[in-house]
Amino acid sequence: MQRIEIVALLSDSKKIMERLQRRGIVEVSDCTEEEFVKLNTAASIQTFEQARAKVEKALEILRDVTGDKASLLASLKGKREYIPDDFGKKAAGVDRALQKAYDILDDQKRIADCKSRIAKLTVLRDSLAAWTALDVPMNCKGTSRTNALIGSLPAGTDLEKLREQTEDVYIEVVRKMKTQTNVFVLCRKEKEQETYDLLRRNGFSALSGTTGKTATERIGEIEKEIADLGGAIDDRLADIRDHDGMQKDLEFVIDYLGMRADKYKALGKLGMTRETFVLTGYIPKKYAPALVRELDRKYRVAISLFAPEADDDVPVLLENNGFSAPVEGITEMYALPAKGDVDPTPVMAFFYYLFFGMMLSDAGYGVLMVLFTSLVLRKGKPEPKMRKTMKMFLYCGISTVFWGALFGSWFGDAVQVIARDWFGREIGSLALWFEPLDDPIRLLLFSFGLGICHLFLGLSVNFYKLWKAGQKLDAVCDVIPVMLTVLGVAPMAAGILVTVPPVVASVGKYVAMIGVILVVLTAGRSSKSIPMRFFGGIYGLYNIATGYLSDILSYSRLLALGLATGCIASVINLIGAMPQNMVVKTVLFILVFLVAHPANIAINLLGAYVHTDRLQFVELFSKFYEGGGRAFEPLEVNTKYIKFREEQNNE
Amino acid sequence: MNSLGLALAILGAALAALLAGIGSAKGVGLVGEAAAGVVSVDPTKFSKVLILQLLPGTQGLYGLLIAVLLLSRIGVLGGGALELTLSQGLMFLASGLPIGVVGLLSGIAQGRAAAAGVGIVAKKPEQNGKGIIMAAMVETYAILALLISILIIYNIAL
Repeated sequence: MQRIEIVALLSDSKKIMERLQRRGIVEVSDCTEEEFVKLNTAASIQTFEQARAKVEKALEILRDVTGDKASLLASLKGKREYIPDDFGKKAAGVDRALQKAYDILDDQKRIADCKSRIAKLTVLRDSLAAWTALDVPMNCKGTSRTNALIGSLPAGTDLEKLREQTEDVYIEVVRKMKTQTNVFVLCRKEKEQETYDLLRRNGFSALSGTTGKTATERIGEIEKEIADLGGAIDDRLADIRDHDGMQKDLEFVIDYLGMRADKYKALGKLGMTRETFVLTGYIPKKYAPALVRELDRKYRVAISLFAPEADDDVPVLLENNGFSAPVEGITEMYALPAKGDVDPTPVMAFFYYLFFGMMLSDAGYGVLMVLFTSLVLRKGKPEPKMRKTMKMFLYCGISTVFWGALFGSWFGDAVQVIARDWFGREIGSLALWFEPLDDPIRLLLFSFGLGICHLFLGLSVNFYKLWKAGQKLDAVCDVIPVMLTVLGVAPMAAGILVTVPPVVASVGKYVAMIGVILVVLTAGRSSKSIPMRFFGGIYGLYNIATGYLSDILSYSRLLALGLATGCIASVINLIGAMPQNMVVKTVLFILVFLVAHPANIAINLLGAYVHTDRLQFVELFSKFYEGGGRAFEPLEVNTKYIKFREEQNNE
Repeated sequence: MNSLGLALAILGAALAALLAGIGSAKGVGLVGEAAAGVVSVDPTKFSKVLILQLLPGTQGLYGLLIAVLLLSRIGVLGGGALELTLSQGLMFLASGLPIGVVGLLSGIAQGRAAAAGVGIVAKKPEQNGKGIIMAAMVETYAILALLISILIIYNIAL
């Protein structure tokens, strides 16, 4: 990583920034020098981002209406490519596409309005349905001599009793419902107040919001209005559907606006004078010369490159060879290396593939992984990140085939089952090494052995790191005694499970004793007084004993997960081959095979991935790695749907 | 008396599948509830929360695995069930317990951790790997139990 400083004419600033964005190799730092003016771009950025959010919403609506879903396959296919010239032409049409997006949003808003109106009308209609038996207008006040009261009484009101209490009052039940009884009451004009009071005492409430029409007429009107609204919704939907085919244009606008927002964010970090601007930032060393040449040729610029200073907050970009680069994503998931850290990616790469294969450990599954990932890498054009992931699974797949062949597992015992049940031949084990179930203890010890190698690798890196930092005493004292102790105790512990040659065991005993003594002598070296050092040493020994014991036992998952894959695969085959009738058996076997094995792959793939990660993060990284670096975030074309194809020798 | 031995062994297999299965079912259910909430807001996060939901499912598989291994070791799956003494039967019963009991409890505990991980997916989807790892920590103990169950099954003298 190098610091870069570009000074150029203000009139060239946008062009230069666009070029830098397409190259995507410079991280722009915020200019802190006080004598420069800074452009306030916050308003523009906000405009872009708001417009972008709107277009995204419009695209979502359009996709919803036209029914095309963004598929998983599309993400494997990669982004659409544009050359910069075409991009310029297309960008001229952005305003038109933006207008269409607003049209879509407008349609959507109208649809929402219609829908909420329909909901209200439906409620009204349902409440009116209880009045259809009333054949006078609902605001009927009575005749010249009588007065009408329309409303409802609580359920369970005794109407007979009401009728008895008054004279010359006519009460008609319009509809009796569970919660209330709708009534039409007619009384003589002079008795109005008396009747009303009586009814009120019995919980009467008058019908509100009435019109001069009967309930049936009113319902007819409402239904017509609902139908009209439904028609309006259909019209609007058709309008939206007319935009089908615009999806790509909208995607372009989304990315275009996103890019402009990014560019303006970067512009806001520049320091400016009346005629010039200055850009400071970071650039990976290997890209610097080409960029300097390119900018020099095209613009009037002054570029200087210099090494970062000790207290600079330098961003981190991982850079590894083809073998370890695919697992960079795993490192990034944990944490990027901080200053003084060793990049753990190449350290873990080999063991990553090895452990993954051992945990999945079925050659048939491995072959499928290799086929699938190769196909995607060949046929699709995955983006760099996806490409890395695919490569990682390709290598893991190869390792899976390797271990599967060693353990003789091809879709579990499918080969043996088919040979025995269909061809009547016992073909025995296919294992190139041995079947784990025949001798699980052997594989368990082998797993622990691999684990110890893995841990020692971590310790060695720690040794290298401390030694290089000049802490040579720490390097020796922190690493060597631990290694001796583990090496010495290992054969004694193995003796519990298998017979260890006595020579090895007794050598182990002495090595372990030396290791333990060294640990007690050195672990407390940071304390001042002798007794404190001694107790520090004992404490250190306790830590090592418990820590390394659990670390090493943790590697038993290599055996357990491997067994799980193979056994479940075999159970699948067993179920498929259960029927006696040959036809049923063949059909069932094929069905079970096609359904259950993919499910087993999915679950065990997840398991192998998660537990390989765990072994790296918890067991390996804890030995030497701190992390906490800041990721390199260049000004780049950070898009979802499109990308640039650069002709390197254009112009 | 001999048939009692076989019955005890089969009880061991049943307990392994049963307890571990309950643990996984509870765990997966717990995560599912949390996951559905996230998906209702943002359906595109479905694949991410699905992975988290799958994590506590392995205990049930381990239980099934032990049940099948045990049943095949005592010949119930092959057709000719072995004559087991009472003590052999008890040993097989014991072999089902580690994965059964640890599977039950770790399945639920892992479900809780994974459900909390769903919260990470909701707020910072790019950090979901960390949620997965935290939930996977719990599984270690189920794996250790599985290992012990396997070792017992294959080291009982018949």
